[in-house]
Amino acid sequence: MKWVEDILQTVEMLQNEHLDVRAVNMGIDLFDCADRDIDRTCALIRQKIVRCASGLVRACESISRRYGIPIVNKRVAVSPIADVAAGHSIEDLIKVAVALDEAAADVGVDLIGGYSALVQKGMTESDKMLIESLPHVLSSTSRVCASVNAASTGAGINVDALLLLGRVWRETAERTADSDGFGCCKLSVFANIPEDNPFMAGAYKGIGEPETVINIGVSGPGVIKRAVERLVQSGRHCDLGSIAEEIKSTAFRVTRCGELIGREVAKALGASFGIVDLSLAPTTEVGDSVGEIFEAMGVRNVGGPGTTAALAMLNDAVKKGGAFASSSVGGLSGAFIPVAEDATLAKAAEAGHLSLEKLEAMTSVCSVGLDMIALPGDTSPETLAAIAMDELSIGVVNRKTTSVRLIPVPGKKAGDRAVFGGLFGESPVVPVPNGASDVFVRLGGRIPAPLVSLNN
Amino acid sequence: MKEYIVTVLARDRVGIVRDVASALAGIGGNITHVSQTVVRGYFTLILSVEMPDERTQLEIRQAVERRGAVGELEVNVMPFAAEPTCETGEAERFTLSMRGRDAPGLIARATGYLADNRINIEDVYAYVHGGEALILAQVAIPNSLDTEQVQAGLQEALEGFDVAAHLQHENIFRATNEIDPVLAL
Repeated sequence: MKWVEDILQTVEMLQNEHLDVRAVNMGIDLFDCADRDIDRTCALIRQKIVRCASGLVRACESISRRYGIPIVNKRVAVSPIADVAAGHSIEDLIKVAVALDEAAADVGVDLIGGYSALVQKGMTESDKMLIESLPHVLSSTSRVCASVNAASTGAGINVDALLLLGRVWRETAERTADSDGFGCCKLSVFANIPEDNPFMAGAYKGIGEPETVINIGVSGPGVIKRAVERLVQSGRHCDLGSIAEEIKSTAFRVTRCGELIGREVAKALGASFGIVDLSLAPTTEVGDSVGEIFEAMGVRNVGGPGTTAALAMLNDAVKKGGAFASSSVGGLSGAFIPVAEDATLAKAAEAGHLSLEKLEAMTSVCSVGLDMIALPGDTSPETLAAIAMDELSIGVVNRKTTSVRLIPVPGKKAGDRAVFGGLFGESPVVPVPNGASDVFVRLGGRIPAPLVSLNN
Repeated sequence: MKEYIVTVLARDRVGIVRDVASALAGIGGNITHVSQTVVRGYFTLILSVEMPDERTQLEIRQAVERRGAVGELEVNVMPFAAEPTCETGEAERFTLSMRGRDAPGLIARATGYLADNRINIEDVYAYVHGGEALILAQVAIPNSLDTEQVQAGLQEALEGFDVAAHLQHENIFRATNEIDPVLAL
């Protein structure tokens, strides 16, 4: 009977296929904490975060128990600090980062996002200082995540900011060399950054968002993989269209679970409900990998021919199912391909099937970008900036979000292994072929915004 | 008008519902609620019917029985009493799913635990196939109980049976299987 099948499928998703809510993120506006006295600003920030988010973990645990759905990560995102703390010195910005770190510990969340600057068209003094403070902040705090929006379709690409970030990546990695440059895992650089992204490291509370807002990141690589496997193994006629339909209906269910949990958490905390982010976020666990979905579809080696098409189909089907499930869809909403955080992708990179170039091609049809990519430790700041320029160009021209999370692993070369631990995983260091483009990058300035008409 | 609850049990065949409905209509009855199912070829029906005051339980039963072959329809009629108020106080609906190896006493053990904890079963469906049992039940768990403890207690009660029991809030199933927006839940 259909209703019995429906119930059993939902039970299976919950009990055996890793369906969980990957992230409940509470966005908190901090602009009312700005003060000429930085110590007062820090105190107000800490008080406000504790006031708004002290019940977050408890509410998530209670709702998780009620519905039997695990909520893996509870996090906080705040207004972009470069704007909140504008007019202060670099030392003052570091004080704010420490206040954020302490507030995150006070409310029991493992990461707090929003140590951020939006510099797509140019940098204010505050933006520049925030970026320059990143090596210190990312190496001396444990919970603070940073993001920089360095490009947009409307403004183009701020190459000066990327050059600065090239040096930041190297210095941050050097300062955290004992953990393979882990500090860089907490920094995402974007084109077209979304204001309501619940996933770290790129989460911040957008200026157009409510006072406090709950955004949800659903999971589901394991659920989608099992749905595809069941269909393929069912003996029924199965072409790519039917696989897409199966993914679509599964994404509908996954999204609905996320929205249900998100609305309950928002209600419990008296916050607005924001969005469900449909992104398929893998973990290092076997059975919870985006790469395994490609394998279930019949792609022999992830990274080989057919991978980009499989990803395009997967991404589109997830969006279609999710968009039908909820009118509150936002954030990044696509498949993530973070090499270090996805065991199958990491394995494919190790086997040489998944190169930097192939990953870049794949990001043109999915969300995020070159995420959690371990690079040789001696990759020059200019080359890091150039890799970021390539990736952000894909977002700018295609009017979508792309980002980079690059880790130049100190003392390691292509083929060595970088270990970041926990959800951040581990991966081989991938080579950067074809030499440097230092002269091109050092020209600096801004790549103008692309034409958005004459599309044919 | 008086209200009666009528149940009918028979081997399944085409036309039993028609026969019962026309028998009741023939003596002035108006059916207001019906639930019917077939289990392994056996038809069961429960319905509520409004009848003119002068009709007796015996007349109603005989009217229905006469629509079948001799001894074919097993009919019971009882006067309707007002719906009971909830014995368990405020409660929320959960779906209980149990899957595993079939064994005598499995349903008795599980339902015994539920009854002992004042958990009302509102709907249940079960079958055994190839030695594997599947039981799905909609249950109302009093708000005074901790669902996690109920889940753990039930699993403990089923010790000795090779069965996994899971409780999930009904909103999960509604959210994942109905087209209505989550906002409407």
